[in-house]
Amino acid sequence: MKQFKEMFVAQLKLTFREKQAWFWGIFFPVILMTIFMVIFSGSSDNEFSAKVAIVDENPNPGSQMMLQQISQIPVLEVKNGKPVTREIAEELVKDQEVHAAIVLPEGEDATSILLVVNRENEQGVTTQALSGMLNNLVQQANLTAVGATPTYELQFESITSGSNEINYTDFLLTGMIALAIAQGGMFGMVDLVEMRRKGLIKRLRMTPANMNIFGLSDMVMRLLFSIIQIILLSLIGVLIFGANLYINFPSLLIVFLLGALSFNALGYFFSSFSKTSEAYMGVANIFSFIMMFLSGIFFPIETMPEWIQPISNILPLTYFVEGLRESMVYSTSVFSSSLWFGIGIMVLWGAVTFLIGSFLYKRKSIVAAR
Amino acid sequence: MTVLEVKHLKKSFGSIHAVQDISFEVNAGEVFTIIGPNGAGKTTTLEMIEGLVSPDSGEIRFGELDWNNHGNTIKKKIGVQPQSSAMFDLLTPEENLNLFATFYDKARPTEEILQLINLTDHRNNHVKKLSGGQRQRLAIGLAMISDPDIIFLDEPTTGLDPQARRNIWDIILQLKELGKTTILTTHYMEEAEKLSDRVCIVDQGKIVTLDTPAALIEKLTEEREVRLSFLDGTDAAKEVCLFAKDLDSVTRTERKDRSLKLWSTDPENTLYSLFGFTKEKNYHVEQVSIREMSLEDVFITFTGKEWRD
Repeated sequence: MKQFKEMFVAQLKLTFREKQAWFWGIFFPVILMTIFMVIFSGSSDNEFSAKVAIVDENPNPGSQMMLQQISQIPVLEVKNGKPVTREIAEELVKDQEVHAAIVLPEGEDATSILLVVNRENEQGVTTQALSGMLNNLVQQANLTAVGATPTYELQFESITSGSNEINYTDFLLTGMIALAIAQGGMFGMVDLVEMRRKGLIKRLRMTPANMNIFGLSDMVMRLLFSIIQIILLSLIGVLIFGANLYINFPSLLIVFLLGALSFNALGYFFSSFSKTSEAYMGVANIFSFIMMFLSGIFFPIETMPEWIQPISNILPLTYFVEGLRESMVYSTSVFSSSLWFGIGIMVLWGAVTFLIGSFLYKRKSIVAAR
Repeated sequence: MTVLEVKHLKKSFGSIHAVQDISFEVNAGEVFTIIGPNGAGKTTTLEMIEGLVSPDSGEIRFGELDWNNHGNTIKKKIGVQPQSSAMFDLLTPEENLNLFATFYDKARPTEEILQLINLTDHRNNHVKKLSGGQRQRLAIGLAMISDPDIIFLDEPTTGLDPQARRNIWDIILQLKELGKTTILTTHYMEEAEKLSDRVCIVDQGKIVTLDTPAALIEKLTEEREVRLSFLDGTDAAKEVCLFAKDLDSVTRTERKDRSLKLWSTDPENTLYSLFGFTKEKNYHVEQVSIREMSLEDVFITFTGKEWRD
């Protein structure tokens, strides 16, 4: 016990004196999260809106009715607040002063309503939305014209698996926490490569020091560092960017512990075949990069091309970040089977890489039985 | 009393036979030095004795103890300073010593070690800021923290300046005074000659010779090199050279202008005869010297001078 305490204190000093650990473990995730939050959550606060120009060259009861309905749609902003001539409207579209011009029916008998957009925006989301709205308008006008009431109407409702809704800030915050812990594990084991290269492991093996206790104190230190990461990122996310967390602590504890251990196992595996720290960093970087973009850290996996999704579905980080979202945002209970399925795949990664890593270490007799 | 006994050690790494057949005994309280060219198998031999590498065959005994049955007991009895002075660079010397102290049941006070290795002034600097000599002294300090009876020092002075080397010599001599047994490897013959009670020369994985430094030098001194030079010019040198060649004790001569080199099995009598001859001829001798033999000569004689790489 005394040995553990002294070793832990030494690990603590080693970590706190290593500037690199602070930069990559604390400073970097904070900066990255801030950048992403500023870029992406800013736009999601503003609702969809579009500027349009209205052309009503021949006012008539039909066009009046439509004009009134259009001006009641809150997301449409009518340029100048009143109809303009067709020439002016087309000029405005060409100069992209407005997104589109809506040409209302020119007389009682005219049956078409025209949407004029700039060719550059022809395929844009705003154009799609506008044409959808106008379609709706025309449909209603048609129904009114024949005096019918709609038989079907569309109702809209969103559901989630949990009790709380996730917004992008929560999504990104949990993603960044997962990424920081995963990278801590995958990059952190570079110490082991350095210790081996400098002969420090050999040196310790010449003493009666218990290497298991040494490993344990190292692991406890890493977990502590990750807890600092979670707390710091959560505080910044909640206090500065207004993320909403509904934490289920037992679930979080399990996801965190197993996740941190699994990714440290991954790092341990990398260290078992890397002779230099450069080689190690290369391997860790490749894995970290693939996972960073394919595991739904910044964007949901569902938004990615379908052929990539199977890759995402085998990566451990996918399940770690899912587990963190379950436990930190949806407050899913420890007894949820979907939670354990994800954890299972992640732990499988950890266990397999740990076993291969140990085997490689043994084979090179770096950790001899003696 | 024998504290360490090594018998017929063998170790190969693939096709390289690093250690082919090494046997020796080390007595309590002596400084036992292993010297040899690079790649001679010194470090492999030490690592086998230190329990890091298991030998292919052979026996290592620390008194009644051996690695297979008493690994942990041996680790407590020995202190090791490996060639790569491995320690925690971000800890201070004091913290390193304290940490290593917890590995053992009993340890010497850190303060005492710091004084012995003369690092009290640098106790609070991070190890990465220490100089090569200071690091090396700390490595020796770490080897001594458990107050071991046997201390292994693997090339403790390699790469150090003359001052730092002498500091380390002082520490080794202090260890000897404390009654510790030291097993040392080095490249410096001067060091081996000054510090060792016995020297073992290893080459190509085998022991080529083992004895006290004085005895090893003695073995070589059957023939000594004598140098003379004359004030009276080349002719005098020529004549003395002819005279010397006729002496029984002189095996070889070499002359260049006014100076003469000769090799004699009995330098004292050779010089007596030569001075008799110069006195008779009235030649004036400017300089005369007999070359001192050192362990380096022994080393070169046994291991040869050819390129090894």
